[in-house]
Amino acid sequence: MRPSFFHHLHPPTIPAAQARWRHTLGAGGTTVFLMLVLGVTGILEMFYYVPNPEEAALSVQVITYHVPYGGFIRNLHYWSAQLLLIVSAVHLLRVIFTAAYGHPRRFNYLLGLGLFVLAIMLDFTGYILRWDQGICWPLTTGTNLIKTIPFIGDFLFRLAVGGGDACKTALTRFYTWHLFGLTIPVVVLGIWHAFRVRRDGGIAVPPPHARTDNVRISRNELVRREVLTMFIASILLVLLSSFFPAPIAPAMIGKPSPDAETRAPWFFLWVQQMLKWGDPFIFGVLIPFGILVILAFIPYIFPKPADSDIGTWFPKSNRLAQVAATVIAVFIIILTLLNR
Amino acid sequence: MTDLSRRDFLKLLRSGFLYISGALALGGLLRFLDYEPNPAPQTEFDLGPASNFPLGSRTLLSDPPAVLLHTQSGFSALSLVCTHLGCTLEDQENGFTCPCHGSRFDAKGNVTHRPAEKPLQSLRVEVTDEGNLRLFTA
Ligand code: FES
Repeated sequence: MRPSFFHHLHPPTIPAAQARWRHTLGAGGTTVFLMLVLGVTGILEMFYYVPNPEEAALSVQVITYHVPYGGFIRNLHYWSAQLLLIVSAVHLLRVIFTAAYGHPRRFNYLLGLGLFVLAIMLDFTGYILRWDQGICWPLTTGTNLIKTIPFIGDFLFRLAVGGGDACKTALTRFYTWHLFGLTIPVVVLGIWHAFRVRRDGGIAVPPPHARTDNVRISRNELVRREVLTMFIASILLVLLSSFFPAPIAPAMIGKPSPDAETRAPWFFLWVQQMLKWGDPFIFGVLIPFGILVILAFIPYIFPKPADSDIGTWFPKSNRLAQVAATVIAVFIIILTLLNR
Repeated sequence: MTDLSRRDFLKLLRSGFLYISGALALGGLLRFLDYEPNPAPQTEFDLGPASNFPLGSRTLLSDPPAVLLHTQSGFSALSLVCTHLGCTLEDQENGFTCPCHGSRFDAKGNVTHRPAEKPLQSLRVEVTDEGNLRLFTA
């Protein structure tokens, strides 16, 4: 048989522990599936979307209300994107709580973190592409936040927005960032991430000498479980998309009307809450960035998990990392709930 | 010069060449993206005949967001762009509030509630020769 990427990811047999639900939560695999859905539905939306400040919101209305199944396709795209963030976060926490980031997987952990950041940026740019009344204030405050960064802020702002008043001009750049500037890196890093999973010995489980069960499963069994996961995810997506339509607001003419949405998209509510406290640079840039840096450093400066602990839930040897991740998660959740 | 060092030298040359061209390309890319294609935001607004704003009037403008006052001492205007991160303020009794992060300003534009730190910008208003009002946001 010719070796292929599929066979690289699916060797003839793997330790059963690497493919147990209660170990992996199916999270990493689900992100792959969600990204495929996002790719397909995104391309379908491109057949109708007009990336022009005057027509964008109207073309979204056309997709949503006129194109047969257009609203459903858009809902699928929306819900896959939201689920992607949640599932990625679960995946990240799983990796930390099972000490799966230990050597030799440290680098792949960083790749994964990079993918997570890209997914957040993709979700934000995608939300901006609605280009209706609901996006003006989050876009304005979000991009003005970039400007508060000392020295390079104005440059980064131009890079992201292209200058001018974001609410009137950002569409061209955000469109290109969303479709290519962020998507291509996600595809490249994503393939690399998946490749490294196998390269580093598959999903993290204790090394052979410390393993208690030596059951292995076959490639077919692995694929069967993957398909089952996809199936469950599909049902959830279809249900969400059928009953909970993606948000949409009236088209923007001039400045948004006074009753336009001022709340950030849900994944940035916690940042918006912090911004109420004071200096935008500290609360809107430094603290979120600091959290990212802490997460990135977990495999490098936190106590090393013991070999036999790698791939087990909540092992003693990486308590500090577990505590740090829990504190960060709780902090973000509380801030989100406070923001109403 | 021994063979080995010549090989090392070539290797150095090659990687140096690669790094330098990479850095140049990256620099070029960043400069390429640094251009501002969009016209700078408008800073001069024609508000029509000054007689539309009689003495004692107080008018809310939406684009640009501002409040225009006509008092004994003439025309004056206060920008309603929040000095925190740029949302448009809501007009309220004896002041303005920001819907984005809750800053508050009094009627003169001074901060009465953080996170904003700077007072609202007062805007220059001029009456042209034809009797029209011009508002300057910069
Ligand atoms: S933009 Fe007005 S309070 Fe933040």
